[in-house]
Amino acid sequence: MALLQISEPGMSTAPHEHRLAVGIDLGTTNSLVASVRSGEASTLADEQGDHLLPSVVRYLEDGGVVVGTEAKKALGSDLENTIASAKRLLGRAVSEIKTLAGQLPYRFDESEGNVPQIETRAGKVTAIEVSSEILKALKDRAESTLGGELVGTVITVPAYFDDAQRQATKDAARLAGLNVYRLLNEPTAAAVAYGLDQQADADNKIIAIYDLGGGTFDVSLLKLNRGVFEVMSTGGDSALGGDDFDHVIAEWLLAQSGQQSTDDAHVLRAAMIEARRAKEALSDAESVDVCLGEWTGSLAVAEFNALAEPLVKKTLLVCRRAVRDAGVEKEQIADVVMVGGSTRVPYVRQRVGEFFDKPPLVDIDPDKVVAIGAAIQADLLAGNKPDSDMLLLDVTPLSLGLETYGGLVEKIIPRNTTIPITRAQEFTTFKNSQTAMTVHVLQGERETVEESRSLAKFALRGIPPMVAGAARIKVTFQVDADGLLSVFAEEESTGIKTSVEVKPSYGLSDGEIESMIRSSMDNAKQDVSMRRLREQLVEADRSLEALDSAMAKDADELLNETEKQALLDAREALVKARESDDADVVKSAIKHMEKTAETYVARRMDSNIQAAMSGHNITEFES
Amino acid sequence: MSIDLKQSYFELFGLPVQYVLDDNALAAAFRKLQTEHHPDRFASGTDEAKRIAQQVTSFINTAQETLQSPRLRARYLLSLNGVDFDDERDTTSDMSFLMSQMERREALEQVAQASDPLDAIDELSRDVKKENFELQQSFAEAFEAGQFDEAKQIVLKLKFFERLMGEIKQQEERLEDDAI
Repeated sequence: MALLQISEPGMSTAPHEHRLAVGIDLGTTNSLVASVRSGEASTLADEQGDHLLPSVVRYLEDGGVVVGTEAKKALGSDLENTIASAKRLLGRAVSEIKTLAGQLPYRFDESEGNVPQIETRAGKVTAIEVSSEILKALKDRAESTLGGELVGTVITVPAYFDDAQRQATKDAARLAGLNVYRLLNEPTAAAVAYGLDQQADADNKIIAIYDLGGGTFDVSLLKLNRGVFEVMSTGGDSALGGDDFDHVIAEWLLAQSGQQSTDDAHVLRAAMIEARRAKEALSDAESVDVCLGEWTGSLAVAEFNALAEPLVKKTLLVCRRAVRDAGVEKEQIADVVMVGGSTRVPYVRQRVGEFFDKPPLVDIDPDKVVAIGAAIQADLLAGNKPDSDMLLLDVTPLSLGLETYGGLVEKIIPRNTTIPITRAQEFTTFKNSQTAMTVHVLQGERETVEESRSLAKFALRGIPPMVAGAARIKVTFQVDADGLLSVFAEEESTGIKTSVEVKPSYGLSDGEIESMIRSSMDNAKQDVSMRRLREQLVEADRSLEALDSAMAKDADELLNETEKQALLDAREALVKARESDDADVVKSAIKHMEKTAETYVARRMDSNIQAAMSGHNITEFES
Repeated sequence: MSIDLKQSYFELFGLPVQYVLDDNALAAAFRKLQTEHHPDRFASGTDEAKRIAQQVTSFINTAQETLQSPRLRARYLLSLNGVDFDDERDTTSDMSFLMSQMERREALEQVAQASDPLDAIDELSRDVKKENFELQQSFAEAFEAGQFDEAKQIVLKLKFFERLMGEIKQQEERLEDDAI
């Protein structure tokens, strides 16, 4: 198949000309832009020589907008008009922001549709618009440094960003006037920066990316093979980062100086500043002199390591899980790449090295490594390296499933399945003459509907009346390469179909995915008891249904009034027990009803046995 | 350029129709096909081309997952040989097998009381994986010998192991959370 090459106006197609393309690391705290120049990828600095652009945007009174360090300075004085961490809001709905709003200093306009808007003096702005200001600033920096217009960019996103978040990132880029070649996963970019895909032994090579930023921790396992990247698993903690190291040192300083119970903001602030200084100094010193107010002392590396240990251990447990999610053993991991400023802490490097049993890769500046990888990919997609065939295969970040009888979730596509994927499952009717079935599509790791995220709900109607269990309803899930889900339902004997494209206008955030996965673990016990209850409820319904349908047929012939009444009483007791939320109560009521029905069942069998036997070979009854 | 969606998964990857799997050959063939058919290759193509790419890569992904999974591969081989499975009803009646599965489950419930639960579960996990692996080998023998009924019984047992290993994994995650 011939691919059409579509050139944009003003875009040069001269083969020998180097086309200007950049990689952008759009971060929660800081953003960077990098480009390949004379075969070398490097980040671009602003006029002051700074490479990191703080991801902060301030809307001024005169209608102007400032981005970066200047805007960051106003975080203390003009909070409402100065937006930081917009990345956390990208691709989220108003309803999702509400829970977060208490922690964020912004005023949200909740009236409009799904996209949350922050009220500033410049009017209402969305996270997409804020992000586009950051991208514009980086675009301007790149064009003035490189001396020409950019033809394309590669922007990095966390590996677990869902479709809505990716879409929002793309929208921000479009708004900034950037042509996006591709969104690239951050861990993949880091691997590309180290050229791990280019090595001779790169067949089936597994690498781990350990990314400890200021406020977030992520780990990803990738598999590389001849230029193909495969995300095997991801994991993380959206509330763990370098700032926590500062906190533990600050607490130690306060304790040592006898001020542990102070709530003096100035002292706390001074402790945090001193803590950060001490942490950085300890990167290449055995101990550092510290002071807090009148108090002076010294912090030794061993002491700091002991303080940091619980934090580091947490990250390693997340690594352990990611390794298992990938279905590999630690020994199979060939390389560990360190990303994020907090991986400069020697103790972090040491413990990560011990965990994976190999020294981690630290040669490239951990703040810049993602942007550098993005720049290399951008250069390639711009056509500056026509011989490469790099391809990234992606996976689903969360499990996708359906509601089944009793409020349980049946997983159709488990998390970490390679996409695109199509998967079908057959369901059947639960009741006699059931003519419609609701298809409720859910996302998440939990076992019950209430605790999963509802993506869509639609009905398959017109199922011909049949006895329970006779209809064959095939539900097909299709996830495309961009992570978009479509669901189809079809009754196979009649061919009646219905379908829906599940395209949420917002997505789950990194934090939500993390907390959904986490709470699925925390509540696993509760799930099990809930599941038991639900199973008993389903069982109860089945028994009631069976009894009712049998009694409607031949109760009058086979039972006398007393027997019939006893059975109806047992039935009533079960209906009552069903209302309790105790699996054992329901179970014993089912038992009681079944026991009461024993004589009835025996008589039914007697009266039916002849008809039943007529269709069977006698040997079937011998065993 | 498209591929035949009716061919067997083994044909698709150019692998011999047998239980023993060359992981590297499968991985190489899978990546080669992905590189050719992935929708990213058709990003500027027609909607029709994108739709076909989606269909083809879904087929490739399903085929890869089926062959990669020891149980699904076994089941698939039997289905190619006309052996049907009824997921609702088929189950093993081997009492000693069921007993040993119950014992494993009891052991799993008890790991939380061990002095080092994570070590205890690692050990249990190793034992279970080893048994599961031995079962796979007995499948290969039965299948090669054409004993499909026996082979089907083994596949049903593999399902038990799959569930057990899933539960071990869940328990492991719970223990890790407790440790955090």
